[in-house]
Amino acid sequence: MPRRWPLLLVGLMTGVLLGLWGLAANAVERVNVLMPAPFAEATADLVAAFNRDHPGIELSVTRGPLETEAVSDLAISSLLLGSSPYDLLLMDVTWTPKYAAAGWLEPLEGWLGEDALADLAPGAELGNAFAGHLWRFPLVADMGLLYWRTDLMQAPPRTPAELEAISRRLQAAGQVPWGYVWEGKQYEGLSCVYVEMLRGFGGRWLEQEQPELNSAAAVQATAWLRHLVEAGITPPTVANMAEPEALQAFQAGDAAFMRNWPYAWAELNKPGSPLRGKVGITTMVSETGEPHAATQGSWGLALLAGSRHKAAAVEALRYLTSVEAQKQLNLRWGYTPTRLSLFNDPELLAANPVLAELKLALSDAVLRPLTPIYAQLSDLLYRELNSVITGGIQPEPAMEQLQGNSERLLITAGGQR
Amino acid sequence: MRWKLWLLMAPALLWLLAIFAAPMLHYAWLSTQAETVLTGLQPRPVGAEQWLRLWNDARFWQDTWQTLRFSAVSVLLEMVLGLAMALLLHQPLRGRGALRTISLLPWALPTTVMALGWRWIFNDPYGPINQLLQGLGLSGVPFLSDPAITWLAAVWADTWKTTPFVALLLLAGLQNIPADLYEAAALEGAGAWQSLRRITLPLLTPYLLIALLFRLAQALGVFDLIQVLTGGGPAGSTESLALYAYLNAMRFLDFGYSATVMLGSFAVLLVVAALAGLAFQWSRTTQAEELR
Repeated sequence: MPRRWPLLLVGLMTGVLLGLWGLAANAVERVNVLMPAPFAEATADLVAAFNRDHPGIELSVTRGPLETEAVSDLAISSLLLGSSPYDLLLMDVTWTPKYAAAGWLEPLEGWLGEDALADLAPGAELGNAFAGHLWRFPLVADMGLLYWRTDLMQAPPRTPAELEAISRRLQAAGQVPWGYVWEGKQYEGLSCVYVEMLRGFGGRWLEQEQPELNSAAAVQATAWLRHLVEAGITPPTVANMAEPEALQAFQAGDAAFMRNWPYAWAELNKPGSPLRGKVGITTMVSETGEPHAATQGSWGLALLAGSRHKAAAVEALRYLTSVEAQKQLNLRWGYTPTRLSLFNDPELLAANPVLAELKLALSDAVLRPLTPIYAQLSDLLYRELNSVITGGIQPEPAMEQLQGNSERLLITAGGQR
Repeated sequence: MRWKLWLLMAPALLWLLAIFAAPMLHYAWLSTQAETVLTGLQPRPVGAEQWLRLWNDARFWQDTWQTLRFSAVSVLLEMVLGLAMALLLHQPLRGRGALRTISLLPWALPTTVMALGWRWIFNDPYGPINQLLQGLGLSGVPFLSDPAITWLAAVWADTWKTTPFVALLLLAGLQNIPADLYEAAALEGAGAWQSLRRITLPLLTPYLLIALLFRLAQALGVFDLIQVLTGGGPAGSTESLALYAYLNAMRFLDFGYSATVMLGSFAVLLVVAALAGLAFQWSRTTQAEELR
């Protein structure tokens, strides 16, 4: 049967080629990282450079949704199904304990060393370790800031009373329709705003795992937020304001102050922005003697326990969070670094004049409670606060109710342990 | 002979069992377990604890009331407006085909896109409605930041989107009513109102019922519209049962309780469906008596 020979040869060659291709595909370790869309865009050049330098690794980025919690939903959906397509996950600071307790993360101290966080800026090291393990390495620092109009006042307010007085003066003079805009919508941002005020009035959310939300300071902080609306310093629509809405109002010149994250600074100083060069940043106001707190909201890379290419993934993690990578992210995209040395880098200081203020704010960083049930605790808090802001309930009974609900939640959750 | 009947139906029954009964049974089992992030996502039997928790959960009952309120008002509006729209589209007008197509557009839009659109339209003070009001010297309306108003904004967005769906169903029904019935009635001296009441509505009843059931089931499970438009706020005033179940599962990783909330909302749906069925029976008997 000589006629069959060519066919057999083709078959054999195909087999050999397929086998070789399989070997080649195996030789290249594929590492996939899930990031919110803006980070995926910002890291595109770094990822390309990494792949050039590491022929054995193929790093790819999955562009997640824009909204923080939508990214978490996407990650959780895949993790629940057992085999996640991701090796690395860029996580918000509040997810860490939840993901760690669910068993989805791989401890990093074995890979990066026990002193992995040693050269981070003060404040940036917070929120990466939980229950004795390191779960996340911070890529980008983020903290709550008070934005103020340098063209309308000499110096920013340092106490709630000063903020109110300056607002009233500017509003009475017709220079701004409103004094102060912040994030008052029923969502995580409101908890961030509250944490700053709570600390500024001398209170704590949790102390030794027990809520202290009916303390005098907690009621004062809540009452102040409501007072801002009642006094006409903050518009009532704050009850539906997230970061973009607050920025929109501030950028339109409708408010003298805004609470927002560092990203707003670049936005406000873009060419063509009406407030270009007229904005300063500082830390949040606080009562005399209390700290000017900044809610820490950093993003960091975590290694998923189900990853089949852990060594390669850690290599990518090291690269993306390196001093050089963070420098590029700051120069090109304005992201705040987490490495201490970069805050003193002359090149960065020249390009980014607010870096010193950011470092200061970061050193005042306050962490939201590190607990696997943080999402529930925060959900209780921002619902109750939103009720107060919209006038549905008075601050004091609201905080009593919240304290009771938070205690019950901790007991229920504790009982299930 | 009977067993053959069952044999022939078996594939369909198995299919139904697999896609409907199996998940329900799984949820029923899950609702007797604690499976949270603190149990390492492993199920731990807790008996009736989750159901007791549901019973004492003020938020569940608040969400039940809010879901019912949203469903009742939006479905009622959709039925009335949908009927009006169907009657209009049934008229022999010029450009009727184009009109029918255009009127379907809101329904063809993905809910998320639609909800984002309304979020912008309702924005206070920068949305077009409030800009218009302010241009006229009126004060703005806090569409999305006042608990007394925001649920109506959600109802409105839902009505805008799904009225065409009701209209489409009813239009199909209208086209099935023989024209000679109207001619005969007109010869007997019946006016437009009488033909509507005596011919159109009775013959349209099966279609109205189908539209009602479809819409009620959808409205009681409303999720995407609320999630995008308000996120459940302000002050939890627009949170629906589906949103609460989602929060428990995806945000809180509390799967046992999420299953309980889900089954609880299913019970609510059953009660509403039973009540709707009873009301329908009652209206049929009174209608029959009237005809006699």
